[in-house]
Amino acid sequence: MKRKWERDLGLQGRMIFTMFLLAAVYFLFLVFLSYNGTPTVVMMLFVGSFMAIQYFYSDKLVLWSTGAHIVSESEAPQLHGIITRLCAIADLPKPQVAIVRTQVPNAFATGRNQNNAVVAVTTGIMDKLSPAELEAVIAHELTHVKNRDMAIMTIASFISTLAFYFARYVLYFGDMGGDRKKEGGGVLLVWLVSLAVWAISFLLIRALSRYREYAADRGAAIITGQPSNLASALMKISGVMSKVPREDLRSVEGMNAFFIIPAISGSSIMDLFSTHPSVEKRIAKLEKMQQDLG
Amino acid sequence: MGLRDLVDAVLGKSTLPKAKSEKLFAMSTASITLESNLGLKPSGSAGICFKPIGASAYESTRKEIQELLEYSSKETETDFRLENDEFNFLWAIFKDPDLEDLVANIHLVSETLEERGFGGQLLCAIYRFDSEPEAGKAGRGETVYWIYNFKQGTYYPFVPLSGKQRDSPFEFKLRSEMEREMPIEENVEKWYPLWGIPF
Repeated sequence: MKRKWERDLGLQGRMIFTMFLLAAVYFLFLVFLSYNGTPTVVMMLFVGSFMAIQYFYSDKLVLWSTGAHIVSESEAPQLHGIITRLCAIADLPKPQVAIVRTQVPNAFATGRNQNNAVVAVTTGIMDKLSPAELEAVIAHELTHVKNRDMAIMTIASFISTLAFYFARYVLYFGDMGGDRKKEGGGVLLVWLVSLAVWAISFLLIRALSRYREYAADRGAAIITGQPSNLASALMKISGVMSKVPREDLRSVEGMNAFFIIPAISGSSIMDLFSTHPSVEKRIAKLEKMQQDLG
Repeated sequence: MGLRDLVDAVLGKSTLPKAKSEKLFAMSTASITLESNLGLKPSGSAGICFKPIGASAYESTRKEIQELLEYSSKETETDFRLENDEFNFLWAIFKDPDLEDLVANIHLVSETLEERGFGGQLLCAIYRFDSEPEAGKAGRGETVYWIYNFKQGTYYPFVPLSGKQRDSPFEFKLRSEMEREMPIEENVEKWYPLWGIPF
C-alpha cells in the first residue's frame, strides 16, 4: 500500500491535458477569426471587460446572488474555530466566513485569490452534518481556495463565453463590418464554427471542473487525515442513502416483471455535462484513499 | 437490454427475465477477499428462496427438491432444511463450514428449477458472513448478508440493524471494496432488503 498520495499524477496529467485542449481550441478559433477578417478587437474588448468584472467582483456577485452574509467571530464562534484550525493546517490566510440561511445543505468558496476568499456554508448543512463531517466539507472548500480554482475556472470559461458571444454577434448582425463580398453561406459557416467551438470548450470546461472537484476531495482528505468523513458527508448531503430501498424484496417481487423495461441510464452522456462528478464516484475514490491510509 | 427486450416491453409482452445462475460462483473467490480485507468470515450458512407457483406444482417441486437435496447433501455432508416464510416463499437453508459446498448446493437447486422451467420463480440466494468483534476495520460485530438476485445476475450487500434499519454506509463501503471481485448490482435502488432472514 502506498502511504503517500499527496500527488495524484493521473489527475494532474488529465488537468494539464484538458487545459492544453482548451488552449488549442482557443488558438484554432483565433486563427479562424483572423483568416475570416472579422474585427475581433471589438469583441475581445467587450468580452474581456465582462470577464474582468466577473473576475474582480466574483466574491461580491456570488454572495449577493446566494443571499449569504458575512459573520463575525462572535456571531459564529464554532464555525470560525473550525476554519481557523483548518487554515493553519493548510497554510492559508483565513478567509472571510459567510452563512446562508436555508435548509438546503450546501457549502461553497469564492474569491479570485487566497487573500480575497470567502467560505460560505448554509444553516442546513450545519444542522445535518456532524462536526467531523462539516470539517471535511470546509476542508474541501478551502482546497478550492488553495488551488485558486475560481481564477482558473474564470480564465477557462473566458473562451467559451467569447465563442458564445461571437456566435450570437454573427447571428444578429450577419457580416456587418466584415467585407461586403461574403455570401450568406460564409456567415452561416462562421456561425456554425463559433457554435461548435463554444460547445467543445463547454464540455472541456465541464471536464476540468470535475477534475478540480476530485482534487478538492483529495485536499480535504489530506487536511483532515480522514477521507471517510467527507465520504459520509457526501452521502448525507446527496441523499444517496435514501435511494436504498426499505421495502422487502418479497413484497415487491410481483413488480419484477416490469424490470424488463429498459431503464434509461444515460449517466455517461450526462456525465459529460455535469460540473461535479457523480457523488458515488467521489465516495468510491474517498473510500479508496481511506484504505490506502490503512 | 437488447432491441428485442425493448420491442417486447413496448408490446407489453412482460416475459419474466431468465434466471442467471452462472455468476453465483463469484462468491467462492470473493469470500477470500471478504475475510482478508474486511474480517468477514463465512458463517457456514446460506439459503435460496423461491416463489411457489400453484398448490399442485408447489407440492411436486418441493418434493423433488427434497429428494434431490437428500441425495446431494450426503455427497457434500451439508445439513439442509426446507421451510416456508410469512410471504409463503419457500426456502432451502444449508449449513456447512465449507463455503464451496454451500455454493454447490445452491447451484444445484437453481439449476434443477431452471431445467423444470421454474427459473422465473427463483427469487434470490443469500450467503451470511459475520465480522469478528475483534477484527480491526469492520469490527462492529455485524452480520452481513450477500444477496444474489437471479433476475439481474448480480450480488448486493445487506447489513440489517435492529428495528428494520440497515447500515447503508457499511453497505456502500462493502460495495467499493468488492466491486472488482464480484458482479455487484450497480443500481442501489434495487438493493431490496429481506427482513427476518431465517438463518
